[in-house]
Amino acid sequence: MLLLLALLAAIPAGRLEAADWQLFGPNAPDIEFHGFASQGFLDSTDYNYLGHSKTGSFEFTELGLNTSFNPFPRMRIAAQAFAYDVGDAGRYDPVLDYALAEYTFNDYFGIRAGRIRRPEGIYNDIQDVDLGRTFVLLPQGVYDARFRDFYVSLDGGEIFGTVPLGQAGSLTYEIYGGLMRPSMDGGVALQFRNSLPPTAHLDQIIPCKLYGGQLWWITPIDGLRLGVGGCYSPWTEFTLTAQTPAGTVHLQNPSDTFTQQYSAEYQWKEWTFQTEFYFLNLNPEAAGVAPSSSFSWYASAEYRFNKWFEVGSYYTQYYNESFGPSGPGTGSATFPSDAYQKDLAVALRFDITDRWIFKVEGHYINGTALLQDNVDNPVRRENGWMMIAIKSTISF
Amino acid sequence: MKYILPTMALVFTLSMAGALHGGSLPGVVVITNESARIDHISATALKNVYTGRTTYWDGGEHVVIIVLADKTDEALSEVSGMDASQFRTFWQRLVFSGRGEEPRTAVDAASLVILVGSTKGAIALAPADAPLKGVKTLELK
Repeated sequence: MLLLLALLAAIPAGRLEAADWQLFGPNAPDIEFHGFASQGFLDSTDYNYLGHSKTGSFEFTELGLNTSFNPFPRMRIAAQAFAYDVGDAGRYDPVLDYALAEYTFNDYFGIRAGRIRRPEGIYNDIQDVDLGRTFVLLPQGVYDARFRDFYVSLDGGEIFGTVPLGQAGSLTYEIYGGLMRPSMDGGVALQFRNSLPPTAHLDQIIPCKLYGGQLWWITPIDGLRLGVGGCYSPWTEFTLTAQTPAGTVHLQNPSDTFTQQYSAEYQWKEWTFQTEFYFLNLNPEAAGVAPSSSFSWYASAEYRFNKWFEVGSYYTQYYNESFGPSGPGTGSATFPSDAYQKDLAVALRFDITDRWIFKVEGHYINGTALLQDNVDNPVRRENGWMMIAIKSTISF
Repeated sequence: MKYILPTMALVFTLSMAGALHGGSLPGVVVITNESARIDHISATALKNVYTGRTTYWDGGEHVVIIVLADKTDEALSEVSGMDASQFRTFWQRLVFSGRGEEPRTAVDAASLVILVGSTKGAIALAPADAPLKGVKTLELK
């Protein structure tokens, strides 16, 4: 992390050009290289959120390096290595983020296979790419920074394309299927461990099948697009070991998972408006385990003053168990604030150069549903609390 | 309720008028590498190129967008529906999700024309008064 900070400090305000090399002579296809490094800082008032933020946390880093080339007409090969650290999730373990071969038959139909980034909503496939947005933190009920290993990539394939609809605009689609491989250092593993009693231990998350798609209607109203996306995993399985009075017990906790996401984005002059609604349902297969669900939504507005400055704000709400047997926002009996989290954010983005950005963002938050760290937050109350997020990213 | 449908119809009509607008870009011409197998391009097709929905030319050559920094921002906005900053962010999203290749940048009109002329599949918006040697100029229909 210190090395990264030193690197950020050493980057001059000049421009780093993306590398574009011809490694195998002038007749070979160009090979492109791009990369980015982001370092963030989180500081919060009442709770540790996304790391040990009460004392200020630099555990907020993302690194990516990718390459791509077109070996044959209509074909492209691309791969990206990625590492991240968000609190206790990620821990800089390098992963092959995507490695894919893509063949585009025409504008209407193409196929992509390998390890791909999964599209869902406006940001899922780029939720850890700081360059691609105004905000430091996306609305966390929809795009949790700790869950990227579970939601972002999958091994499999997808078909994609754009279908013109005449004067009604066009329809873009991506339909995918494959296997997702959650990490034992990832956010979902952390969340699951957080829910376990001290006598139980998470052993493994079994790679699980996942199917889904994302549709965007590019409407004839210039700048307006409407989307619907979702995925279904028929079998998400956690295995754990628990110590009981009768001895050691090995348990399995399979469930099916279903998500839906509805999106709208409107770009008008220097303004961008977005809103999304996200539903998650988990249905455990084991008898006696209650299904759980969550619902989150946000609305945001962003305005770009000029090539250097952009401001944005969003308001978001997250509720767990929103459709559960206990009704919306009921939470736990001990800590009612665990049932919801509401967040008002205001952000400033400064593009120092085309390749170096700096962001600062304030949050006023009510609720504790997304803390997911009971050890570091033993008491949770129904009061408002604040957080500041700062982040800088360089890219080439 | 009685105003909703007429309002939607008005918005739709106005948007149609906007969508059909095009035919020329003031002060700017569309140029391509001479390998491109087209002589003209529609406003819709041009927008598809600049928004990543068309990534290959008819012959299979992949499209390489080249942008003249700061000089053609207005035309870029008209073609893509995004200002220069939004355009850059849009393509960075595609690059880092494995879905596209970032447009290249030229620092002045002369180097833009040279880059387009030497890059197969290249397309760019060039100032109309630039010396257009070794590139193809597309008619915008």
